[in-house]
Amino acid sequence: MNINIKEYKRANMVTVMGRIDSATAGDFEKALIELAERGRNNIALDMSDVEFISSAGLRVLVTIRKTVQSAGGDLVIAEPSERVTDTLEIAGLDVLFTTFDDRESAIGAF
Amino acid sequence: MPSRTITIPARLDQIKLLGKLVEQEAKVAGFDARTTYACQLAIGEACENIIIHGYRGESEGLITLTISVQPGEMMLELCDNAPPFNPARKPTLRELDVDNPPVGGLGLIIIHKVMDTVRYERTDTQNCLHLSKRITPSPQHRHAH
Repeated sequence: MNINIKEYKRANMVTVMGRIDSATAGDFEKALIELAERGRNNIALDMSDVEFISSAGLRVLVTIRKTVQSAGGDLVIAEPSERVTDTLEIAGLDVLFTTFDDRESAIGAF
Repeated sequence: MPSRTITIPARLDQIKLLGKLVEQEAKVAGFDARTTYACQLAIGEACENIIIHGYRGESEGLITLTISVQPGEMMLELCDNAPPFNPARKPTLRELDVDNPPVGGLGLIIIHKVMDTVRYERTDTQNCLHLSKRITPSPQHRHAH
């Protein structure tokens, strides 16, 4: 798993790539918590190159969404890969996340 | 029915090796990409449960996956030597609370949602989880017969 973070004026774009499972979810969560701790509570996640996400990855999404929303921000998803979309639907969590077809729209939403 | 077996140590970073075998065998069974991914997801969740709840963390314990396939059908048997742990009890599905969504039990929900059968068996020393997935032939295929 690789993570790139780009800072925009009103939000941060976090690009996560590869496999998000129990072996990597800790690093994923740490990166997002660090943003929230700096007060960067508007987060757009580019998940176009996520090849696998297990329930451990879903737990990070749900937990961070709650953290940033309670601070007045939001966590949205940009360009989810088919596998991300499938996993969210299978777990019944797809209704929780606003998704955008492209990165610009996701950042523009804030 | 031909079968292939792989054994991995109970470490989280090894689970992807099982996913690769599932992918190879799903091709033999004729599964499409989405069904293949669903099976990889179920095996990944089952293994995470074995390591975290069965072995109580990464250990020198072993996990063995045996996959048997025939056209349109894949059977997966996942065995470990951890203390008894039964993931085959179907989780209770509750209505989603968007303000307080669940963060636990998602693995079991996923396994039961994507697999056709989920059966647990305990022998003297092993937990064995039997999973199966079957695809229905496409309408075009059915008309051809």
